[in-house]
Amino acid sequence: MKSLLQNDLPASVVVFLVALPLCLGIALGSGAPPMAGVIAGVVGGVVVGALSGSPISVSGPAAGLTSIVLMAISDLGSFPLFLTAVVLAGLFQLLFGLAKLGTVGHYVPNTVIKGMMAAIGIILIMKQIPHLVGYDVDFMGDENFVQPTHENTFTGLYHALWRITPAAAAVGALSLLLLVLADKIGWAKTSVGRIFPAALVAVLAGIGLSFLLEGLGPDWVLTAVHRVELGDGFNSWITPDWSGIQQKLVWTVAITLALVASLESLLSIEAADKLDSLKRVTPTNRELMAQGAGNVLSGLIGGLPVTSVVVRSSVNAQSGAQSKASTILHGVVLALAVLLASDLLNAIPKASLAAILIFTGFKLAHPNILRAAVVRGRGQWIPFLITVLAILLSDLLVGIAVGLVVSVLFIAYNAFHATYTEVREDNRVLFRLRRNVSFLNKGGIKRALEAIPRGSELLIDLSHADYMDPDVEEVILDYCAHAHLRNVRVACKKNPMQSKDFDRYSEFQTSNPTA
Amino acid sequence: MKPIDQLLMANKAWAKERTDDDPQFFKRLENIQTPKFLWIGCSDSRVPANEITGTEPGEIFVHRNVANMVVHTDLNLLTVLEYAVHHLKVEHIIVCGHYGCGGVKASLTNKSFGIINKWLRNIKDVHRFHADEVEAIADEDARVDRMVELNVQEQVMNLAKTSIVQKAWKERQAPHLHGWVYGLSDGLIKTVCDLPSGTRIDPLYEFHE
Repeated sequence: MKSLLQNDLPASVVVFLVALPLCLGIALGSGAPPMAGVIAGVVGGVVVGALSGSPISVSGPAAGLTSIVLMAISDLGSFPLFLTAVVLAGLFQLLFGLAKLGTVGHYVPNTVIKGMMAAIGIILIMKQIPHLVGYDVDFMGDENFVQPTHENTFTGLYHALWRITPAAAAVGALSLLLLVLADKIGWAKTSVGRIFPAALVAVLAGIGLSFLLEGLGPDWVLTAVHRVELGDGFNSWITPDWSGIQQKLVWTVAITLALVASLESLLSIEAADKLDSLKRVTPTNRELMAQGAGNVLSGLIGGLPVTSVVVRSSVNAQSGAQSKASTILHGVVLALAVLLASDLLNAIPKASLAAILIFTGFKLAHPNILRAAVVRGRGQWIPFLITVLAILLSDLLVGIAVGLVVSVLFIAYNAFHATYTEVREDNRVLFRLRRNVSFLNKGGIKRALEAIPRGSELLIDLSHADYMDPDVEEVILDYCAHAHLRNVRVACKKNPMQSKDFDRYSEFQTSNPTA
Repeated sequence: MKPIDQLLMANKAWAKERTDDDPQFFKRLENIQTPKFLWIGCSDSRVPANEITGTEPGEIFVHRNVANMVVHTDLNLLTVLEYAVHHLKVEHIIVCGHYGCGGVKASLTNKSFGIINKWLRNIKDVHRFHADEVEAIADEDARVDRMVELNVQEQVMNLAKTSIVQKAWKERQAPHLHGWVYGLSDGLIKTVCDLPSGTRIDPLYEFHE
């Protein structure tokens, strides 16, 4: 209980502050009513949070789904039809979980997961800087390179430089300054800081400053565009249009959503597990079922599809959440705030929230993380960097796919390179095989044997190889049988488990051994 | 290729593989060794300290002689012990014998092995201390194996009786002494005795500074 009040409750407030603009922004980017994002946020927190086995992961509407959702809603022509697809997608996810497809997540290499986290951090920083200075054109929480505004991440940044809204920039700067200061002095560890997280202070200060600035004249008034926009607030439930069951397109959308949402959840869960200070491991099949249940419910009551999401999970971990009470509470706080305090929420400047997101992004893409990847060698930092770049320049799933391919190539290279060592001294040559000698090494070994000079005394040591492909065995046996034609004296050293075919070359022969 | 040349070639290949896998491997070990263990084992070629314990160069300081003896007048052993305990400051000393030990076997016979007899006398002393127990074992191999265990135990006691170990126990509450026996038949090590730092031994053998 003490941990709940000291750790999970303050963490949930910070997650709420981050979730609010993301829920609204993602709804806007998806072409859905703002409340659809909030409903998904509440369901992701309360329902998925309660059912999931993850202590750290936070679920809610996902930036990675916006383009799919936007297209689906316009193709289907109605939001209630889309909700039907969300419910069906949830049912598919339940099936995925029952079929134990959740283990897929464990096969994504760490470098790719770390690359994904760093990329999301960098995207967060670049996409939020415009909001920090009051260039609120793109929706908050966009993670795709190409923005719906026909800009991309870089042009958005560039345009923002010329369209700074001074009041927003001042508010954003104050909020960011407070966050950095709080981090420097270890505010979170003080007794006041435990109850009033820095993010909350930054937002309250932002609201205060924005109203103070209004005194400077009409140019300094922060209009509604630059503040949180709850829209009409909560009026009525939108429910699924069940006639959609008969439409093929609804099913196509449902399957697409189920697959993409499941993948994103599994990736995010891997990331959340890495962020957990206690390094707990989340059961992935249960996660798929929790996500499925969340989507069924979210769809039923008019919400967007949910996935586990990296940014909110990361904020949750950084804010000291210890148990899933935090993610559940953030959903409760979100619901209560929207229902009871909509005026207060509408007063929050987007610039303050952008400051929190930028700060979060910096933690995700911290220079130390990049440095750690570099010192672990080429096999680590190249896939890492490529994943980061691919995600930055496309979107999450495409970037991950590119990162996966590169990683797998590196893994294959590491497993198969350096399977032989050749050393020479005078006319003596030792050719030693080791590790797993596969057919991929056949060419290399063949060429290396060809290159051994005439008149050599060659010892081929197979005894250190863990596995030898039959093709390679044949190459070596062929070479041994004809070595006398090259005037090479050859012998093989093998271990007792290896092929008996090599036994006849166990000693150096003076004459042709096959004769 | 002559067998002796094969060793040199294998060494060259080993060094190359090590550097390929870890370019810093030799650089790290070049100027410093910080082993945590001193191994006192038998010279028997089938009991290589590093290989059977999965340890790498730099991890174990090794002394081997016939039948893993700790003899108080053996200047060689005393030098190794002094250096390991007071300069390298090892945390553990392991005396590791092995079943079927040729030295122990020979000590149980009355055959003369020339100069080797003088070394075997130390094992015969162990036999004499435990004559009742050892003589009661009818099976010859079983008797040798029990003698191997008792020998290890006595050599660990011999370590505890040295002022080198006693001084270290007083000064830094280490090293911990272990008596092990390795099985040639299954490759497994069995613990036969265990003396943590500060264990009280027969007061007759305790030295006060």
